[in-house]
Amino acid sequence: MHTLLATLISLALLMQTAGATGRVVTLVLPRDLTADEGAAVEVKVGVIARGAQIKVETTSGKLLGVISPYGLRSGDEAGTYPIPVPPEAISNKRISLRLTLSYNRSKRAPTAQEVRSVQLKITPSRQ
Amino acid sequence: MPKLKSPVTRRSFLKTTLAAAAGAASLPIATHAFRRPTAKYIRYNVMSEGGQKAVKSYNFAIEQMLKFPPTHPQNWFRNAFIHLMDCPHGNWWFYVWHRGFLGYFEETIRNLSGDSTFAMPYWDWTTLPEIPAVMFDGVLTPTAEPYAPFTKSLEVFTSFIQPPLMTYWNTLSPAQLNQLNIRGYTDFNKMWNDVTGNGDPSNQAFAITPKARYLTRENPKLDADTYKNCEPSTILAGLSPTDFYNESVSLSFTSKKTESHNSAPARGAFSMLEGLPHNIVHNYIGGVTNIDPGPYGNMTNNLSPVDPVFFLHHSNMDRLWDVWTRQQQSRGLPILPPQPDLDALSKEPFLFYVNGDGKFVGDSTAGEYLSMERFDYEYEPGFPNTLQQTSSTRQKRGQVQVRGTVSGNKATLNVPSASIKEHLAAPAAAFLVAEVTVPRPSPSSPTREFHVLVGAPSDVTEVDPKSPYYAGTIAFFGNMSHAHGANAEATFAVPLPKSPQAFKGLAAATASVNIRIVPAYGRRKTPAVLKAATVRAV
Repeated sequence: MHTLLATLISLALLMQTAGATGRVVTLVLPRDLTADEGAAVEVKVGVIARGAQIKVETTSGKLLGVISPYGLRSGDEAGTYPIPVPPEAISNKRISLRLTLSYNRSKRAPTAQEVRSVQLKITPSRQ
Repeated sequence: MPKLKSPVTRRSFLKTTLAAAAGAASLPIATHAFRRPTAKYIRYNVMSEGGQKAVKSYNFAIEQMLKFPPTHPQNWFRNAFIHLMDCPHGNWWFYVWHRGFLGYFEETIRNLSGDSTFAMPYWDWTTLPEIPAVMFDGVLTPTAEPYAPFTKSLEVFTSFIQPPLMTYWNTLSPAQLNQLNIRGYTDFNKMWNDVTGNGDPSNQAFAITPKARYLTRENPKLDADTYKNCEPSTILAGLSPTDFYNESVSLSFTSKKTESHNSAPARGAFSMLEGLPHNIVHNYIGGVTNIDPGPYGNMTNNLSPVDPVFFLHHSNMDRLWDVWTRQQQSRGLPILPPQPDLDALSKEPFLFYVNGDGKFVGDSTAGEYLSMERFDYEYEPGFPNTLQQTSSTRQKRGQVQVRGTVSGNKATLNVPSASIKEHLAAPAAAFLVAEVTVPRPSPSSPTREFHVLVGAPSDVTEVDPKSPYYAGTIAFFGNMSHAHGANAEATFAVPLPKSPQAFKGLAAATASVNIRIVPAYGRRKTPAVLKAATVRAV
């Protein structure tokens, strides 16, 4: 069942913009969540500077999580990270997220090479 | 960021239930499925009486390890090189490899300390989002003076450790060298480049003594971003997968299946618990975001076991694996993957461990460490405190979620009395958590810490953690000028207090709960503003 749910993945990337404070992506679920389901965003991260972090928050400012790669060798891609999404942050099956890369006391939007993809997935239970 | 200083008391331990055993009977390999009803050793919360006793033994044993010559496999720094040469990250051997590493290390500390009851305490950063104060005592911080003869400069460290490490390298078996090859360490110098950084300060695993740990006794706290990855909702989300391994990482308790435990994390996908709290606690302690671009403290890299807090951090990660395992057992769900994955997982060779007698373990496999029986220990409960709690939580999360009406610095919420009673009756950790949203302080504001009060009479404006109304302390760190301007608010999760005095009117179906914030530490002239408050079951 979980595998089935996992296939119900929204890859829809309706809007992607880069702003001064981050890169905004809007993701859409294929259907409404049921009472027993939750959601997570999976962020695939490419090569970023060691010590760089990627903050994932809603465009209304609710912090969802911070990707802080660890255990990498220099020059390695950072891998994929799931971050829980509170169901109440999703409205009409949509959620808009801001991704911000911070490093060395500066913040900017990650490039397409630094954040390769962002997916919204249905998970089996609410967070 | 909540600051939860209420003392952790010694608690009774959850015993494996008949239901758990019944569930385990359907598991792939029964020898891994059954948890012993009692264990010989108890890993305590570091803040408990048992934990405080254990860290004294830990401190004593580290003193001995620092005195061992670098040719000794139990020399403090040689022990850290086991991790640098062999640790898996971003793959499904993360938990099991660290269980073996921690288990043998625990035996070492037991032997060297002479404390026959020693077990590694854990640091539950969900309920204590700061480095435990005791970890700044004695040699429990790598910035302590006894480390200086070895780490006062890279040159000193190199002359001390490199020759015996090269000698050791030349004794390695073809199987060990093959694993190092997979890791990218095709020769000794490739490995050593990760110690020096090879010109890249951010990649330098070595840290000089005074900068070996970024957080200090005066500034021990995790910041708000770090705590977000450790807060109850994140931990519960990380415990929610029902598969030990699933190709979709959101549905997988463990990180990605790879060809070898030495495969680069670049090919991996991190489970929530490894990728969020595990990673960021490592990095923040070492100074990531605050001393970019490095060199960082030890915890940010694969020589992280040089910092003694490493083992308390990983004891907590191992505890969460145990929580997940018992949760699965209680539901009759498998705790390990089905065949043929189970074979692939179990047969992976772990070849670099050193046991409690200072001997190389030699050939061992991951399957030997899938059960806690191997080292005969169990955990004093931490967050989430009991199996029953996580089970009931799953049914009630989403059902209990109350948003308050806010005026000034006070929110009023109508919370079901039954939920409050359940919260008060829960044996240890909180069942109800308040999410409070406050504006970020301006760059010039002298007040960046606020106490969260629940049910406090209006004339109560100052509390300490012993107050029945005290829920926690939230704090901002760093340069506020870097905060987002348009969304200059932050939300913190704070467990509600466990004292009945904080709640009135429980005879009715719903009780009116008031939540206030006040400036901490007597800064009463600074106005506090509460933007929103929600109470939810976790």
